[in-house]
Amino acid sequence: MKPTIKIKDLSKTYVSKERTKIFKSKKKTVKALNRINLNIYEGEIFGLLGPNGAGKTTLIKCLTTLLLPTEGTAEINGYDLLRDDKMIRASIGCMLMGERGLYWKLTGRENLDFFGSLYYVPPKRRREKTEELIGLLSLSDFIDRTVETYSSGQKMKLAFAKSLINEAPILVLDEPTVTMDVHAARELRTIVKDLNEKGHTIVYTTHVMQEAEELCDRVAIIDKGEIIALGAPDELRAGIEQESVTKVEGIIPQKAVKEVRTLAGVKEVGLTSNNGMSKMVIVSENSRVILPQVIRTLFDNGSTIEYISPEDVTLEDVFISMTGRTLSEDTVV
Amino acid sequence: MMLSVFSLKMSAEAVKSVFLCRLRIVSRYRGWFLFDMLVPTVIAAIPILLGRAISGENAAARFLENTGTANYVAYMVIGANVFMIVSNSLWIFGFWLRNEMQTGTLESLYLSPVTKLTLLAGIALYTAFRSLIAFGVAFTGGCLIFGVNPFQGDVILAVFFLLIGLIPIYGISFFYGALIIRFKEANSLINLAQWAVAAAMGIYYPVTVLPRVLQYLCMLFPPTWVNQDIRASLLGLSYFFGEWYYDLAVLWAFCIVAPLLGYYVFLANEKRIKKNEGVGRF
Repeated sequence: MKPTIKIKDLSKTYVSKERTKIFKSKKKTVKALNRINLNIYEGEIFGLLGPNGAGKTTLIKCLTTLLLPTEGTAEINGYDLLRDDKMIRASIGCMLMGERGLYWKLTGRENLDFFGSLYYVPPKRRREKTEELIGLLSLSDFIDRTVETYSSGQKMKLAFAKSLINEAPILVLDEPTVTMDVHAARELRTIVKDLNEKGHTIVYTTHVMQEAEELCDRVAIIDKGEIIALGAPDELRAGIEQESVTKVEGIIPQKAVKEVRTLAGVKEVGLTSNNGMSKMVIVSENSRVILPQVIRTLFDNGSTIEYISPEDVTLEDVFISMTGRTLSEDTVV
Repeated sequence: MMLSVFSLKMSAEAVKSVFLCRLRIVSRYRGWFLFDMLVPTVIAAIPILLGRAISGENAAARFLENTGTANYVAYMVIGANVFMIVSNSLWIFGFWLRNEMQTGTLESLYLSPVTKLTLLAGIALYTAFRSLIAFGVAFTGGCLIFGVNPFQGDVILAVFFLLIGLIPIYGISFFYGALIIRFKEANSLINLAQWAVAAAMGIYYPVTVLPRVLQYLCMLFPPTWVNQDIRASLLGLSYFFGEWYYDLAVLWAFCIVAPLLGYYVFLANEKRIKKNEGVGRF
């Protein structure tokens, strides 16, 4: 297989302003990507995983020519990132900002026709393709209404249709299921698989691990602008299979987490909290051996345990074992 | 899978799509046309009514002495309408850019292979269409309200000056677009520039009444020429360089320099933004 996307030493640094007071700000240099090297092969579904702010969207924006890299380069569909930007954009169908990338005062059909024309799709083909997409994504109930009247899920469906209007060989989908209901998200994943079978190369970013495990041939886990793991989901899981995972749910104070981290045999602990309820993932050498100690430590430090069990290794556990954080840690408040 | 690639025909099709897109969107905000019509009438009414209120017996003679015509009503109506078309053409592009930034559609446009020149051409076409219709209706309406004959003088030459004059004005609008993309702010820039434009192009007075240094500065601004030349062709005033074809030659020179320079500055700023945080931040 030949690589459709070749990324070489790609770095991106930008200056952002940190607000200190109403009229005061401090300039801060952010290294969003640090020497990324990656090949994405023709016909694969490639997952970019990582928490919010990891650098996934910055990488996508560099590859779609929205941002100029600070260092390094890439080749996409045989075109050089810095020289052939128009051909690169013609090679990619992109769903990047979800519903924000649509004209809300136009109807869905008018949006598809407009964006099709910007990709130089001939008028007759635009009309045919629009009808195809209406059928494929079940848009007929709302396609002739202005987008402002759509639900979030309907807007995301239209944004997905927009990414398909130019029939590009490469599809870049940035968190495409983020505001969809379970049924619509499942439907979209099925369509993504079908498109892949028809030969599209797909780059799929998500912070939902199950989605990546279900869809992707290979994944890269990105954290703080660097690729920290790369491979097929099975390979990555196999990498920590000699380790095991314990999942705990309940009310878990921070001091309990700190104490669990100090237990002999515990390698990493990740914690997410939502409305007072916490989910803790413990990566250890042998979960069954440490289980009594974990339970005792949690109780001694004021925790209430609702569920505790040794479980199979997932991609999320791979991330935890490498960073000590869960993927949703940076996103769930 | 075949890539749809650039061709002149498809590029023209994209310009048409941008034009239609803007027209569809504005048609869904009722009232815009009415407001476009009213603005120049109000702008012209203020000095006309003020003139009527405070002018003495020699007012018309003094006006004739300074401007070359005693018909101050027609002078103001033309000035106000030219100002409106200049103002629309200068700011609509900036407002469009700012609006696309805020709604998130600017990134969608930047993701497509269409050239910026194609996008700008579509927007310029829409702006010209909207402004010219508004100008035609508002000018006729203003003439009826204030009792001015709209068909006096050389109307064809005046229209020619107007159409040629729009080209350098779009060039200036690229500069303004560059400022918007860089500073991410439209309103305060317009508040500042609107009055400067009105003063520089002399909507209420001939620029010859300004101090000499200011006169030279105003002459570097294409709308000053458009305004004076339209008045000259309709009201029989003198052209800046005596004959209409000399003034037209100056406008042609502006037509070449302003768009090229404006587009260059726009692209330079766009590159600068893409090197940092990109067009998605607003």
